[in-house]
Amino acid sequence: MISLVRTEFTKAARRTRTLVVGALLVGLPALIVFALHQRNNVRQANAGEGLFRLARQSGLLVPAAVLGATSGFLLVVIAATFAGDSVAGDSAWGNLRYLLMRPVPRGRLLVAKATVAGLLIWVSTFLVALAGLLAGIALFGAHPVNVVAIGLQISEKTLMLRVLLSTAYVAFGFTALLALGTFFSVLTDTAGVYIVSEILDGITQLGRVRYLFPTHYLDSWQSMFTDNRYSHDMIAGVLVQVGYLVVFGTLAAVYFRRKDIRS
Amino acid sequence: MSEPSDTLNDGPGDSRGDAIVEVDGLWKTFGAVSAVEDLSFAVRRGQVYGLLGPNGAGKTTTLRVLMGLERPTRGTTRLFGTRVTPGCRELVRVGAMVEQAAFVPHLSGLRNLRLWWEAGGKRMRDADLDGALAIAGLGNAIDRKVNTHSQGMKQRLGFARLLLGRPELLVLDEPTNGLDPGEIREIRELIARLSAQGATVLLSSHHLSEVEQVCSHALVMNHGRLVADGTVTELIGSTGSVYIEVDDRERARAVLQGLKIVERVQSQGDGLVVELRDGRRSEVAAALVGAGLQLETIMATQRLEDAFLELLAAGDGQPPARVAQAAS
Repeated sequence: MISLVRTEFTKAARRTRTLVVGALLVGLPALIVFALHQRNNVRQANAGEGLFRLARQSGLLVPAAVLGATSGFLLVVIAATFAGDSVAGDSAWGNLRYLLMRPVPRGRLLVAKATVAGLLIWVSTFLVALAGLLAGIALFGAHPVNVVAIGLQISEKTLMLRVLLSTAYVAFGFTALLALGTFFSVLTDTAGVYIVSEILDGITQLGRVRYLFPTHYLDSWQSMFTDNRYSHDMIAGVLVQVGYLVVFGTLAAVYFRRKDIRS
Repeated sequence: MSEPSDTLNDGPGDSRGDAIVEVDGLWKTFGAVSAVEDLSFAVRRGQVYGLLGPNGAGKTTTLRVLMGLERPTRGTTRLFGTRVTPGCRELVRVGAMVEQAAFVPHLSGLRNLRLWWEAGGKRMRDADLDGALAIAGLGNAIDRKVNTHSQGMKQRLGFARLLLGRPELLVLDEPTNGLDPGEIREIRELIARLSAQGATVLLSSHHLSEVEQVCSHALVMNHGRLVADGTVTELIGSTGSVYIEVDDRERARAVLQGLKIVERVQSQGDGLVVELRDGRRSEVAAALVGAGLQLETIMATQRLEDAFLELLAAGDGQPPARVAQAAS
């Protein structure tokens, strides 16, 4: 299994697309932080902007601000690309049938591909955070943060711990996308489900159904910085992600095992 | 569902236990469309077996089912006596090229070979990499990305890949498609060489000359159904005539006219053209030699192409021709 994961990782990591994504994930946070440094008047209307406002006090908070800015779209697209291409990529090249004739057992191949896609998603998320952290410290320094709204100061050590936790939470928040993307990768070549989920999640008339959307709890980590508390929504978010992983991971495995490989 | 033994080619030295590919009553349907209908055949060790048929005859679907890529709607396929399921272990003993050779385009040829081999959980030192690279014959191009390779280079690389594990059985689907004449010749010589080294080959093609040159046995399919099977010689001879040259033409004519299998004897040049009622050239030869005549030449006057077209024309709505049985 380890050798299979290694071969799949080599294939994915050596793609030009992966290198471009890596450059983007390093360059974009640096650009955002530079723009933030240059900007004097920052609006304080919502949490994302709240994080950006707080981030100007300390570079240690910049990763959180950058994660807030990228986790809603950019990271979603990147994660969907990795997950959605896991099986479909080899299928499109015509290489899938040769792997299966090697023979590589289908279940094992699917797990290896999903593992590599998940690994790339985690690496991408941490890369964004790390790039933000380095750029933030370079431009704003490393200081404690005063959250004026609640009258508290968050120390450097706590900030670092929470940045680490929030990065892991955001990365884990793409688990449902990984499962959905892998499932759709087995079915077809597309994985635009998260974008649809984000749009539907904004429609309040959908009521409690929205709580089951994979993106509903995606921003719940931000309360660690804006309200100085760990939200219970984070636990709900983890449970939703696990639920999607179990359901769609199982569906993907069952379907892939039975599928006629025609490409 | 028919028994496989009904359609087997019981040639000299063959026995049922030698069959390393067995297809038994295979059906494969896609919705209302039948790609393969009640197909049965067997390939024995050492044979070079051709699957012949026009486009859409069901050749590739048959090979896909055989390699565990698709599930049969009905019937079974076996490799080395083991029923084929997706990813079954017996596939390790098979080197296959189904449709065109395909690779990870952004990786070099060499890395593609390595990754494919290692994906099976084996170490590179267990593979016959030197032999495979010699066959690929790509030189320094083996280190170039595959998306810079020509189709011919990819096909040769595909052969290198399928030979990495020194397979006992080669399954080749239209292996010379898209190649230039020089490359086609190379591939045919390679298949002949591998066969001479003991490999069993199952080859699908619609290039009749290819099957005629390379295969010992062939099966003709049309619309998913078996039309005929037997040795290539038998298939060619089954529906036609032979040209012979002997030391005494008139005595030979008299001998041949006394044979029940002979329809007509005509002079042509220095020899005779003998029209047969069925395809037993060996009986013609045996009768002439038995009569003390010196047989200098005996050859089919038609090629596989003629036989193929006649079989397809006659095969629609007819039960399959079991050439070998008729001949034996």
